[in-house]
Amino acid sequence: MNLTVLDNLLVFSLFSVVIILLFGRQRMVGWMSTLFYVVQFGLLMQMTTSGYGEVAVASSFTADILGHSLSWRFDALSWFFAVITVGAALLSACYSAGAWGKKYNAQGGSLWWLHVALSLNVFSMLLLLASGDLLSLFIGWELVSWASFLLMALAGGIASRAALKYVTYAMAGAMAVLAGLVLVYNVSGSLRYEDFVASLPTFSTAQVYVLIALFGAGFAVKMALMPFHLWQAAAYALTPGPGSAFLGAISSRMGLYAIIVVIVQLISLAPLGALHIPFTFISGQGLIGWIAAITIIFPTFTALRQNDARMLLAWHGIGQGGYMLLGIATGSALGSAGGLMHVFNHASYQAALFLSVTAVVHQTGTADLNKLGGLITRMPISFIVMLIGIIGLAGMPPMNGFVSKWMVYRSLMVEGMPMLFVAAVIGTLGTILSVYKLIHNMFLGQLRREHESVREVPWSMVAPMLVLSILVFVTGMFPGLVLQPVAAVQAAIGLPVVNYTLGGVEGASGALDMIWVCSVLFGGFGVGALLFYSTGRTQHIHQLDNYAGGHFLTSETRYQYSDNFYAGLMRVIGPYYRYSFQWLEASLYSVTGALGSGMKILYRSAHPSFYLLATAVLVMAWVW
Amino acid sequence: MTMTVTEILIEVVLMPLVAFVVGLFMVLMMRKIAARIQRRIGPPLLQPIYDIVKLHSKTTQVSHGWMHDIGIVMAVGGYVAAEAMLPVPGMNGIADKGGLIVLMYMMMIPSLGLALGVGQCANPNGSIGIARALTAMLAYDIPFVIVVFGVAWHFGTTSLVEIVAIQQAAGVAGWGATTMPLLAIAGLFTLQGMLGKHPFEIYVAPHEIATGPMVEMSGKYLGGLFVMQCFQIYTAGVLYVTLFLGGGENWLTFLAKSFAVVAIPMSIAFVFPRYRTDDLVRVFWKWPVMAGLLGIAFVMN
Repeated sequence: MNLTVLDNLLVFSLFSVVIILLFGRQRMVGWMSTLFYVVQFGLLMQMTTSGYGEVAVASSFTADILGHSLSWRFDALSWFFAVITVGAALLSACYSAGAWGKKYNAQGGSLWWLHVALSLNVFSMLLLLASGDLLSLFIGWELVSWASFLLMALAGGIASRAALKYVTYAMAGAMAVLAGLVLVYNVSGSLRYEDFVASLPTFSTAQVYVLIALFGAGFAVKMALMPFHLWQAAAYALTPGPGSAFLGAISSRMGLYAIIVVIVQLISLAPLGALHIPFTFISGQGLIGWIAAITIIFPTFTALRQNDARMLLAWHGIGQGGYMLLGIATGSALGSAGGLMHVFNHASYQAALFLSVTAVVHQTGTADLNKLGGLITRMPISFIVMLIGIIGLAGMPPMNGFVSKWMVYRSLMVEGMPMLFVAAVIGTLGTILSVYKLIHNMFLGQLRREHESVREVPWSMVAPMLVLSILVFVTGMFPGLVLQPVAAVQAAIGLPVVNYTLGGVEGASGALDMIWVCSVLFGGFGVGALLFYSTGRTQHIHQLDNYAGGHFLTSETRYQYSDNFYAGLMRVIGPYYRYSFQWLEASLYSVTGALGSGMKILYRSAHPSFYLLATAVLVMAWVW
Repeated sequence: MTMTVTEILIEVVLMPLVAFVVGLFMVLMMRKIAARIQRRIGPPLLQPIYDIVKLHSKTTQVSHGWMHDIGIVMAVGGYVAAEAMLPVPGMNGIADKGGLIVLMYMMMIPSLGLALGVGQCANPNGSIGIARALTAMLAYDIPFVIVVFGVAWHFGTTSLVEIVAIQQAAGVAGWGATTMPLLAIAGLFTLQGMLGKHPFEIYVAPHEIATGPMVEMSGKYLGGLFVMQCFQIYTAGVLYVTLFLGGGENWLTFLAKSFAVVAIPMSIAFVFPRYRTDDLVRVFWKWPVMAGLLGIAFVMN
């Protein structure tokens, strides 16, 4: 049998899981798994020789289950997501390998299990991304769910409660997907992609919409689209540091991948565009856009209220998913390229941010935004990483987050969707407020006395953060580097292909050239620096020499503004935080609980002997 | 109409210089208007320059750390870069490489720099000021993006060069202010907030939070903010002229329009007290948003 590159990749990935499981108890497990991801990354790079998998790389493995043949292959879409997955795992593993892992082990965690869970995640994600028919897609989907459950539950305590909540949501979603599969199988008699596409005309219009709803809702759970978003923030935030960076970077994008495969690539956006939602002006495509916009706004403004740095980032992760879906829902070359590019961009800055927060937690022991401050003088590199990360997250030039959001905005303008455009920008503005609070409360302001002796984290943690920061900046200045594979993805999934250059995009009515924009921006900074540094000698003073309205500051004085940071804004929007979804979730929970107890009373307390007798008689009658 | 790299570079250098000089005079005009309203004579012609030189040559220059310094560099530098995207008569710089949305976000970089710089000062008065300023930004940017959308939809482009060209080809009847009066009104409202003038300047509140962001700024730090203010007033005024008043056919009309536009918010500013932060948000989310949405409804029909 001739092994293809994809075979090598999948086999090697599985091999890494087994090796880590068997020999992972040593101290070197972090470096070992880093090495494994380097090899997997290399194999992915080997695929680029065929143009980012524009020609799909097939796997020579097949399996037959109950008459269904399973097959796997990698196309441009799989490749794009796989590179982000393996890249995120590589940097997270590297980060955990040195000082972080030692401390994690010392504090009672098990680096071994963390790496088993991480490698299992990577393997199952690669398997999902490689799926070549609906059944292997479903199998990959389930594996991914359980693998991420394992990673989330590692920390124990509240984390495992959050993970259990995730599994409940994931199972509900999987049931929807399974129902979709049953419908597909009933009508087309096969679960192969080609057969499904070929038999699409035989589906009635209603059946197509039911399919879209079932698959869409099922996959939306993983992506935490509203209203299925409640599980994600806690589950991701409470995962041990590098694990949360990995999950935050890519895990929930598997939902987006599946949505793209089934709804964009196989069914295509045409039926959605043709659907008119009754009693409104919007089409089905517009409805998806609105779900995305709501997913942008509500979680972003929830993030604004968080007082735990990791929770804040995790909530933003949910919100940023909205931009990806919003871009893809436009279906235009520019918008979908922006949405797809945002997957990469978000992964890069979100991982950098999570790692930076983890560095602070590593050194100070807390992520509470009211118990930190002034760390810039103690951890300057972590500060710079967070600065680059928040500029990316807020979507401001010169970082990569700006480029993808610009493309989404621009496409909404061209398509004439004012309200969605405004909603997208409101999300960005809310993000700016929220990330300033994040960096201010952690790194700026007054340094607390107990943090006087804090030091920067060692190089094994600094290096992955710096790699990510450089990536965020370089792909911001040269977005063409990412747009090249993105264009290949668009071609592979049948969307119009964006007209890109190394510096941005070409367009008849409004182009973008980030090379010029960034160069001029840094030129401007140069002028500013010239004006600043060439005049007047500065003297550095201690933070306790500050203006305090005539009072003297001592190290006992807490002279920091951190709690309820946007008090004025909250006086306006505070009453709108009604926690309706949490209420809804809680009431669903109690209704289920009540029904369960009702059933229990029925068969256990009231007349148990009668039911037992009746059942026994029925069973005997049947056996006879 | 392709320009060589050298030509672009010359314009990129010249445009911020022009902006700075014009901005200085706009600051002078602001202080003159304030003086006249308060029945004073006001400062002499070169006072803004004297102030900048004075602030930069002070002997006491208190730094709270490197982010404090870089914050000022970003505050000035961000605007220097933004000016290269704002077309003026005869010069387009890199306006065709970015456009309206990029400019909108470039204008946030100085604010971010200032916010980071103030943050490192470790003075809660400053941090409160920044929290209020960011809230104000959230307040006025929502009507602003509505205006941006309406204008871009109306002209069918986000390129500022093309927006100016379309208006100048059509004459006064084709100006944004004539064809989109509601958006022009919403834009003017936004301008007031963007300039941070009364009644929307709660974030500096001298008596309550000791001038907020400026509380720990001395010497050239304050000088840098002064330069930033020159650019800020210029950028906001010229952007409004570009979107609604046909840009500049020549330097004379361009300057006349820009100064006239800037004079409006300044005349309003000095006869008002200030709104509280939450009232400021309510005001911006009500009137200009309503005008803007109505304007979009007209534009898109």
